[in-house]
Order: sequence, then structure tokens, then C-alpha cells
Amino acid sequence: MSASQSAVRSRAEAVQVSRTFDWMILFTLFTAVLGGYHIHYMLTGGDWDFWTDWKDRRLWVTVAPIVSITFPAAVQACLWWRYRLPIGATLSVVALMLGEWINRYMNFWGWTYFPVNFVFPSNLIPGAIVLDVILMLGNSMTLTAVVGGLAYGLLFYPGNWPVIAPLHVPVEYNGMMMTLADLQGYHYVRTGTPEYIRMVEKGTLRTFGKDVAPVSAFFSGFVSIIIYFLWHFFGKWFAKTDFISDEAS
Amino acid sequence: MKIIKDKVAKLSFVALLITMTAAMFYAPTASAHGEKSQAAFMRMRTIHWFDLNWSKEEVPVNDTMTISGKFLVFKGWPETVDKPEVSFLNIGIPGPVFIRAGSWIGGQLVPRSVSLELGEVYEFKVLLKARRPGDWHVHSMMNVQGGGPIIGPGKWTTITGSMGDFVNPVTTLTGQTIDLETYNLENTYFWHAVWFAVAFAWLLFWIKRPMFVPRHIAVSTGKASTLISAGDKKIGMVFAVGTMVIVAASMGTTNSKYPVTTPLQAGLLRGMKTYQMPEATVSVKIDDATYRVPGRAMQMTMTVTNNGDTSVRLGEFNTAGVRFLDPEVHEDETAYPDDLLAEEGLTVSDNSPLAPGETRTIEVTASDAAWEVYRLADLIYDPDSRFAGLLFFWDENGSRQLVTVDAPLIPSFI
Repeated sequence: MSASQSAVRSRAEAVQVSRTFDWMILFTLFTAVLGGYHIHYMLTGGDWDFWTDWKDRRLWVTVAPIVSITFPAAVQACLWWRYRLPIGATLSVVALMLGEWINRYMNFWGWTYFPVNFVFPSNLIPGAIVLDVILMLGNSMTLTAVVGGLAYGLLFYPGNWPVIAPLHVPVEYNGMMMTLADLQGYHYVRTGTPEYIRMVEKGTLRTFGKDVAPVSAFFSGFVSIIIYFLWHFFGKWFAKTDFISDEAS
Repeated sequence: MKIIKDKVAKLSFVALLITMTAAMFYAPTASAHGEKSQAAFMRMRTIHWFDLNWSKEEVPVNDTMTISGKFLVFKGWPETVDKPEVSFLNIGIPGPVFIRAGSWIGGQLVPRSVSLELGEVYEFKVLLKARRPGDWHVHSMMNVQGGGPIIGPGKWTTITGSMGDFVNPVTTLTGQTIDLETYNLENTYFWHAVWFAVAFAWLLFWIKRPMFVPRHIAVSTGKASTLISAGDKKIGMVFAVGTMVIVAASMGTTNSKYPVTTPLQAGLLRGMKTYQMPEATVSVKIDDATYRVPGRAMQMTMTVTNNGDTSVRLGEFNTAGVRFLDPEVHEDETAYPDDLLAEEGLTVSDNSPLAPGETRTIEVTASDAAWEVYRLADLIYDPDSRFAGLLFFWDENGSRQLVTVDAPLIPSFI
């Protein structure tokens, strides 16, 4: 076969090759995003995602969406503008959460025996789906950043509440009140994570009484808008094709 | 040249394979906590642990044991380490092999960080409930913000039984008794499975059709708008609205199922109750101190004055958890870890009773392999080459006095 000949002999074969190519690209993209996003999220969100006694109504709610909207925005930029595939955010978040579940189960439980009900990851899927749908319907980066970014921040806390709420039931323990999540953190000894490292319930948001989670979520949504823009541009930049001029010819 | 390069590459690959295979056959468990690697001055001049007691050496799963004792927050705390204004009484174990069922300083429960005062002695107790079978090195430990973990003496403890039998019952303020080991697990799996299913459905809707090549061609040729149909948009709307409905509905049902929830609890406990040691009537002045590297011995020349009304004798020098005893004065009866106990490690030039009002200059030698084994000799390489420790004197009635010492240390290499 010469270089000018086609590698396929029929339309059916071309379709088959195209589909094979789809699965290869998808698998590669999925695993690459899983690895990169996972490292990024562990470095920036880390302990807030590892432990239930870090999942508070102020900082976890604020930090997790801001640092996790990054890869969804970038992968969306590539998959939407080049392929019109509105799955960038969902694909990224599913890859991240799959990686995290493997990590929590194999490492946190399998190696060090922390109970899974203490170390399960946060749920980011609701925000990701909404982000993808808004991009598909609006076909606009600005609209997706403003509406989708805000929705991503707002949906995070209620999207996790069904799993977290049971651990916020109070308990009296040796004369002190704490939540079951606090008790998990106290019972299951972390030699390298002393109590004072926990960044929970800190800040100056004291004028909203007990209802600070919605305010934190709004703030998180606003910052997520900015982060979305930034990472969407990163994604576009990484996904562009550059041709180098052949000056010799 | 190419042949040589190929051979080097091939041999390197074989060496890598052999190394990896060898590692598979021999991968020992890391059981200790690097306590010997911590800078010697950190262990000698920060928290001095003493009167330690491990209540059991073998514990069945679900049974409890305690580590109790006292610690002195050293007055001559090094400048290079942050002061213990925010500290946490921890326990040095390899992961949650025990659960910490309780920990107290001065009788107060300390699930949170505490503020400690320099120069004060505190009494502590940690209650541990056995969870995972095995032989574990169990240390007392104090985490200091800005200073890191300051690990105390450790003792090997055996947990017997099966981890599958472990239970951790807790009764909530709403009256429900739960097993914290497995509580909320099914609920967690359920909700994550639901959301994964929704996400996979959305992904499947798109990846079941041709993706990259034909769609890229369409976008490149200006036909991008043909790739999203009205039906696709309707399905998208269903997913978005469905997502928000599930989130709102699940939040509503959760709130009705758990009407009483509280925020995570955090804070700093101040004003911890200190332990009052008997007033020391003995005063000690270190005239000089040297560490003889070849002999693994520290020699101190000290001037001791007895201001009390009974005679006293020096019985113990304790530094970094290593105890050097003069057996004629004091013997350990607490089953202190062997590797940290030099039962005959303290030699005093004249250890006859020091009469009331008497002042005497004595040569004290603390020698034991522990200096090397616990890498305390590395003190001579520290940025601030000073040693510190606790001296215990006993009077005729068996009463004990604690005196702290803190002085420069000169190494001797010959």
C-alpha cells in the first residue's frame, strides 16, 4: 500500500475505524483527565474531600466547587468547540470521582483501614450535568460561566447533603457535644492530621446566624464563575492546532 | 557504539525488572513512626514525658487500654520551634489500629486543641479501644502547631482477635444508637450510585453516536449547528431539570429524616489544669557537660545544693523519654519499654545522701547504647547544641523531687 492509498476499503470499514478511534480517544482522555484532575483536586481540595470532619458549611462549601470547576471548564472548551460534545464537565467529574473512589477504597480503607463512611469523596455530579446542559443550550462560554458557574457552586452543598446530614446529628460524648463526623475524626486516629489543622467553621461570616451554607455557596458560585473563564481559556489554548510555516520551501 | 548503547539499555531494563521482582518478595511493614529521626533537641527540649504507664501489653479487639502519665512543657523551649500555644494530645499509632475512645489533660476531655504553658506539668490519659489485630508500637504524642509532631516514648502492644468483630456503638442526642464503624455507609453508596447512574446515562446518550472524527469534520466545515438537534436539547433539559429536582427532593427528604443537625465543632481549649509537683528543695547548677562520642556517654559536672530538711540522692536522669537509673536509689517497676530504660545507666561520682544544707559538686555519667540507638547523639549536629532533661532525687522517705536541667553540650571525639 502506498502513502496515497486509503487505509480503508469501504464506508463500513471507515465507520468501524472511526468508532475504534472514538473509543481509543475516549479511553485516553478519560484516564488522562482522571490522573491530572485527581492530582489537582487532591492538592487544592485535599483534606476537605478526604474526611467527613472537614466537610463543614463554610470552607468545604466554598473551596470544593472553586477548585473543582477547573478541569470541567477546560475539557468542555475542547470537546464543545471542536466536536460539539456537551459532556466535558460530566466526563471530567465522573473520571475524578471514579479515581477518588478507587483511592478511598484501596488506600484509605485497604491500606490504612479508615472506615469508608469517614473518607468517601464529595459528590460533584449534579453541578457538572447542569454545566454541560447550559453550554449545550446556550452555546456560549459567557452564559455557561455566569449561569453554569453559579449553579455549580449552588448545587454542591444540597447535592451532598443527603450523605452528609446523617453525620451532622449531634452526640454527647464525655460531657461535650459534637457531631458524629467530629467523633469520627476523634476516634479514628490520624497521627499526621492533628485537630488544629482542620480548617472548619473559620471566618467572619457571623451575621447570618446558622444559615451560612447558602451564603458560602453563593460566594463559591461567584468565584467559580471567574475560575470557569480562566480554565475555559486554558482548555481552548491546549486544544488549538498550530501549524509551523515551512520557511525552507 | 550503537551495540554498547543497546547493551546498556538492555542490562538496565533487566536490572530494573530484578529490582522490582525483589521488592515484591521483600516488602517489610513500616511499623514505627520515625521517632528516632526527629531532631534530638526537639525531643530533649520540648515535651518531657514521665511516669508513663501502658495499662496492657495485649488487648483483644473491642477491649480497652490506657496510656497515662505526665508531661512537662519545658521552660527552655527552643526558639526554632513554635511555642505550644495550639497543641493537640495525639497518639502515635500506625493508622486507626485503635480508636481513641477518650483523651484527657488534667481530667478534662480534649477532643480539640489546647493551649499549654511553658514550665508547667500536666497529667494526661488516653483511652484506646482495640480495633485491628497485630503488634503495634504505641506512642504518646503531642502535635504542636508550627512545631510538628513531638513524639513520646513508645511501647509494643499486641491486639488479638478479628477486626470483623469490632463495633463502635454510639448513642446520639436524638436517642438513636448506631455503630459508627458502618453507620451511613449504605446511604453513601446509594446516593453516589444514583448520581453515577445519572452521569453515565448522560455520557452514554452522547458517546453511543459517532464522536470525534465525523463531528470534527462537521465543525471544521461550518456545520456545527447540525450536530445538536432539537431532540438533544429536550433531553438536555430533562437532565438539567431532573438533576435539580433530585437535588431539591433529596434535600427535602433528608431534612425531614434528620431534623436535628448541628455544625462541626471546633475551637481551642485554654486554661488547662496543671499538675502540681512537690516543691523542689534541691537546686542544681550544671558546671559543664560533654558527650563522649566513642563511649556513648554524657558526662555532667553539676553542683547540687539541698535546701530541704531531709537528705536526698540522685536516682534518675530522663531525657527524650530515655531513662538512666541508678539502681541503688531507684528501680523501675512500671514495665517501661526496655529499649528506653538504662537500668544501670546512671553513674554518680558520690551518690551518698546529700544532707540538708549541704552543697556538693558531683560527676554524673549517663551511658547507654540508647544514645546511639535513639540518635540522641545527633544532638551535636543540631543548630542549638544544648541538652535538657529531668533529674529525679529521692529523699529518705521515698519522696521524689523533679529538677530540670538545661545547658550547653560539648562533644568529645577522643
